[in-house]
Amino acid sequence: MSEQVTLYLHKLSPFSQKVELALIEANAPYRGYHVNLSDKPEWFTSKVNPVGKVPTLTYGGPRVDPEDPSSLSSKITESNVILEFLADVYPDSGLLPKDPVSRAKVRSFVDASTKQVEGPLYDFIRGLGSYEDLLKGIEFVQGLLEDGDFAVGDHYTIADACISPQLVRLKTITETDLGKFPVGLGFKLGEELKGSKFAKFTKYADQILERSSLKQTYDEVRIFPLPWW
Amino acid sequence: MAQEQITLYTAKVCPYAQRTEIALAEAGAPFKRYEIDLGNKPEWYAPKVNRASKVPAIAYGGPDVAPENPSPESTKLAESLILVEFIGDLYPSSNILPADPVLRAKARFFVEIVSTKFSPNFMKFASGNPEGTHAALLTGVDAIQDILPDGAKYAVGDQYTIADIAFAPFWARLNLLVQKGIGAYKDEEGKSFLKALEDPKYAKFNGYVQRILARQSFKSTFHEVRPLLCR
Repeated sequence: MSEQVTLYLHKLSPFSQKVELALIEANAPYRGYHVNLSDKPEWFTSKVNPVGKVPTLTYGGPRVDPEDPSSLSSKITESNVILEFLADVYPDSGLLPKDPVSRAKVRSFVDASTKQVEGPLYDFIRGLGSYEDLLKGIEFVQGLLEDGDFAVGDHYTIADACISPQLVRLKTITETDLGKFPVGLGFKLGEELKGSKFAKFTKYADQILERSSLKQTYDEVRIFPLPWW
Repeated sequence: MAQEQITLYTAKVCPYAQRTEIALAEAGAPFKRYEIDLGNKPEWYAPKVNRASKVPAIAYGGPDVAPENPSPESTKLAESLILVEFIGDLYPSSNILPADPVLRAKARFFVEIVSTKFSPNFMKFASGNPEGTHAALLTGVDAIQDILPDGAKYAVGDQYTIADIAFAPFWARLNLLVQKGIGAYKDEEGKSFLKALEDPKYAKFNGYVQRILARQSFKSTFHEVRPLLCR
């Protein structure tokens, strides 16, 4: 009998999206609950996550209404910690491979995409980051990509889940130029990524963006403004 | 049980590198240890072992060669936390990863708190950054104490895990600096920090850090050389 899984998320949050993608790709049954972060329900901070952030995953305990969380469930927070948790709870899902070297490679990709792309990209969108840093980060991550359809190995892993929200937002800013960076830099980034220097990255991104899991978690229409940015 | 060779590129001063050495000691794993002089790195190190030119790094597998002559056939891995998990995966008998996924998540969350709330403040303090005050250090201590379980030996229970391994080298170096009064921070900040920790409210934290410093795998890999900032 499998334990209940409830994911408290925000539909616009890239961190929530990472976790949802992993759940969907693992075929794990779960309930998703959108938390209104601008008007946080009191029960969320008192019973789910005192820090009040999403994503938060509850695991186990009785099957209750998401708005009536049980103290008996385990509460897991921090998106990359949740990704590893899901790989542990669904060991045959392929979210993490079984052999130690491949696992280390997946983790290296997660680490690189978090430090080199995720941070710089969201800073760039908020008008705080540098175009060059973002490009360097993308180039670094491109260097880790293997030759197949997935970031590492021949199966979807938490590496793909981790970078997907970044790929989605990259696509948006390069197609619309929306963001707090200087006008035109979004389009310029798009042109650079179409060049031969980034062919491998773009090929990988195009593939990942086609996955149905992504389409289930992302509403292209509602992207900006983001409530906490 | 791993049969492939493990070569660890490391440095005595470096807290990140010590994490990996502790994990290897807990696993009882045979490995070749190669000391990298961080002030004078060999020119083969970045191109052949770690592009980022940092320690720790592991060359795993491939032919049994001298560490100064790394083979392109070995797998090169870096980033201390990834290496600690790698050793946990190679040597499940090391017990540094809890068997229960929820406890594992707690251990990883503890590591996140160390990385986000403790280490940055420690680095600022040790480097004499004006933001590195004793108050900033105490926010890190508070964050850690808040998640320490009651009545348990270590970070997530009685089992010694990756959580303790992640924290111990950093605490040890901060402790060394303030006890000996060395480092770039202002003298009164160091004294205020030590004084604050005498408060009975930090009993749980103080008990915990005593135990992690007493762990054999920590002691055998800690060298009381003057800590440098290795990043």
